[in-house]
Amino acid sequence: MALLEVSDLHVEFAVHGGSVQAVRGASFSVNEGETLAIVGESGCGKTVSVQSIMGLIQTPPGRITRGSAKLRGHDILGGQAADGREIRGTDIAMIFQDPMSSLNPTMTVGAQIAEPLIVHRGYSHRQAMRRAQELLEMTLIPDAASRIKEYPFEFSGGMLQRSMIAMAIACEPSVLIADEPTTALDVTIQSQILDLMVDLQRTNNMAIILITHDLGVVARMANDVAVMYAGEVVERGAVDDIFYRSAHPYTVGLKSAMPTNRRGAVQKLTPIQGTPPDLFDAPAGCGYYTRCPYAMEVCEATPPIVFDVDREHQSRCWLHHKDCLQQVTQIYRP
Amino acid sequence: MANSRTNKHAYVRYAVIRLIQGAITVWLIATATFFAMHNVPGDPLMDEKAVSPEIRKNLQAKYGLDRPLLEQYGIYLSNMIRGDFGISYAQENRRVNDIIREHFPVSAILGVLSIVFAALGGILFGALTAINRNRLPDIVIMFLVIMGISVPSFVFAALGQMTLVNVNAFFGTSILPVAGWGSVSHMIMPSLILGLGTMAFLTRLMRSSMLEIDNADYLRTAISKGLPPTRIFLRHQLRNAILPVITVLGPSIAAITTGGFVVELVFAIPGLGRYFVQAVQQSDYTVIMGTTVFYGAFLVFMVIVVDLLYGLVDPRVRLD
Repeated sequence: MALLEVSDLHVEFAVHGGSVQAVRGASFSVNEGETLAIVGESGCGKTVSVQSIMGLIQTPPGRITRGSAKLRGHDILGGQAADGREIRGTDIAMIFQDPMSSLNPTMTVGAQIAEPLIVHRGYSHRQAMRRAQELLEMTLIPDAASRIKEYPFEFSGGMLQRSMIAMAIACEPSVLIADEPTTALDVTIQSQILDLMVDLQRTNNMAIILITHDLGVVARMANDVAVMYAGEVVERGAVDDIFYRSAHPYTVGLKSAMPTNRRGAVQKLTPIQGTPPDLFDAPAGCGYYTRCPYAMEVCEATPPIVFDVDREHQSRCWLHHKDCLQQVTQIYRP
Repeated sequence: MANSRTNKHAYVRYAVIRLIQGAITVWLIATATFFAMHNVPGDPLMDEKAVSPEIRKNLQAKYGLDRPLLEQYGIYLSNMIRGDFGISYAQENRRVNDIIREHFPVSAILGVLSIVFAALGGILFGALTAINRNRLPDIVIMFLVIMGISVPSFVFAALGQMTLVNVNAFFGTSILPVAGWGSVSHMIMPSLILGLGTMAFLTRLMRSSMLEIDNADYLRTAISKGLPPTRIFLRHQLRNAILPVITVLGPSIAAITTGGFVVELVFAIPGLGRYFVQAVQQSDYTVIMGTTVFYGAFLVFMVIVVDLLYGLVDPRVRLD
């Protein structure tokens, strides 16, 4: 059984004159000590999915209409266990895209790292501050003893993200959700932050859910990948399945839109034509229908179901139906 | 990297620089007041009934009003630096210093109480409206705020006084005195009335600054840490929302201390405001100069205090 299992998650937001269906049946899971990457272009529901697990969706306008998120079998959707126990900051922690604005500007970094320890673990202020210093040392911030007394504005972006990580792992969570943790950082810092996450994952045997739109980061970090499009998970599987045995046209499209430095590779990037569908008025059939080079008649009005391509490798595409006659060389079919 | 020792040093340096700037401001106020006052037609001796030219000349000589203007200015400035504001022309044998010493504490107590009331009320009601935005408490409070800002204080003063009269009549005993000065019970109603406009203004400011922070990333972080809502509210939201309120406290003190005159008059409070206005009507040069310079110095000082306070609350404020 997976450590954290999200199934059939539906989230919608009330807007003027109706609702936007931001997540329309997302299912993914992550195992202990492993990394799941959720990829997809902007606005496809990656962030909303994980934020609804953490209870960070403001209601109203947001609303979780269906689905479940089970941590070791107990439903925790909305950030609390069934018995009302707070799982945020203890079992599941989260770091965010923009470290510059994600820390409270009027509290010292140390006090902010110490906060979950005081609240969840009952540490005294002194104990918690000592632990905060250790955590900053663990995240390789030099001169941690004086750094804990400083304010976020005195830190650089990379150091702030390290501090965020220190804060997130303070109570040794079993799952760390990282929502585009390196997007706001430059490439060398990005690499250091990812290394740090891998190190901490090994020592704490922590699962990581990594949201990114950088396939390079995915290849480097992930064990499993969930590809999201228009509020749905369109393909999920092991990282090699996704990269070498892509079973969904959208995954193929993403890959050919990715730059490569491979010798002899075709230099031209092929963008995916068009834009994602408006989820205020979600399409009746497949969300990728208008952009898909292999679109068939059935795709327009009938939403595709999830097909098992292999064991542990699924694709939400009619191409995998046993009656489908279209031959597509780029799509993996066993 | 800033360490606490250089921070402390910078803080003292900043305070000294601000005080010097303040002194220059006060000097400019004194100079401007002096020349403006002497350019207004008439002089303190105009009030005297049918003074013969000779007596008038003697009086002018006695008070030094016959000397060239610049010389008078020089004498005045040197006296002021020694802390002597001179003797009132209109009230015989009263030194301006004594007037200030006797009546300013009354105005100051009234002003401080009003500011405390306005700040606490503004922060409380502002937070309340922001938490309940677009619900009943928000709508009711924001309606009252509009009233508080647009209705002048003499109306509220009269209404407040009338309310006290009715309340006292209803209970058949004096719950709160209707006017006068002396005990704590005298201070409550006037300071409430005096602080009302500022409180309304601060409520609006607090509300908008709370709403602005409502979507801040660091609040999302606080929620993701699983902190209890009260802790998130107090440590993460309120403290950051208060910053703009502290900034305007300085000018608010100015508004309240100078606006105190009307309330002092309605409630028959022996504050400095009354002398301030009376002196202008009587061209009482020394009292005008004394009270203006004193008020000016007081306000400049309060603004500096607020700025220094701001440096303590917001660590990002750079003091150089």
